[in-house]
Amino acid sequence: MSDVGTTIREVLEAQGRLPVTALSLKDDDDLYENGLSSHASVNVMLALEDAFGIEFPDSLLRKATFESVASIREALETLGVSATSD
Amino acid sequence: MAQGVVGRFEEVRILVGTDIQPIDEVATSMLQFGERYTRRIFTDHEIECCGENPIAAATGLAARFAAKEAVLKILDSTSSVPPWTSIEVQREARGAPKIVLRFEAADLAHNQGIENISLSLSHGGGIACAVVVAQMAEVSPGALT
Repeated sequence: MSDVGTTIREVLEAQGRLPVTALSLKDDDDLYENGLSSHASVNVMLALEDAFGIEFPDSLLRKATFESVASIREALETLGVSATSD
Repeated sequence: MAQGVVGRFEEVRILVGTDIQPIDEVATSMLQFGERYTRRIFTDHEIECCGENPIAAATGLAARFAAKEAVLKILDSTSSVPPWTSIEVQREARGAPKIVLRFEAADLAHNQGIENISLSLSHGGGIACAVVVAQMAEVSPGALT
């Protein structure tokens, strides 16, 4: 069982193409200020769908959704992802 | 003396948007996520225009992604960001690309008074780029002699 925040950071590390290590990001750190591009955010979204077995609806395909680890977690919670996942 | 002038431009506002996209990032996404990736961002027309050759498709789609981002930079999207598929790059018969806006993107452009958007695409050195120029003009009718 892994923490949702850890999984988000692992996905950001693998797909975010960030110049910093995503594993060290704080929950409220601005991902765009830390180098996340719009294109990379698409890959992050698709990898999160794979990791959690969910699908982001168009209403969540917003820049604000991927602004921080905290905002991604909030979006996932609206899709039924709980604080921990298998 | 000028002949045939039927209006006078009192104000012409130009908005310029530009963006670049590394082609290899698009190629990697296509390989990793397949149609889930392309269908999320691109329209059927855009995918069809870019063909089935993987290199050509990645190049064409990278340019189109840059075009969508360039358009987003000129739209006032502070309250809502339109989906990528509402901004389409179309090929005209003679091959020149043009921007077609639909749904939220069209509404935003209309609200801003954008009348026309010109598009230029290019690629080289592994990078695709796009420049869009949007014109918002107000013309006062009245013949000049």
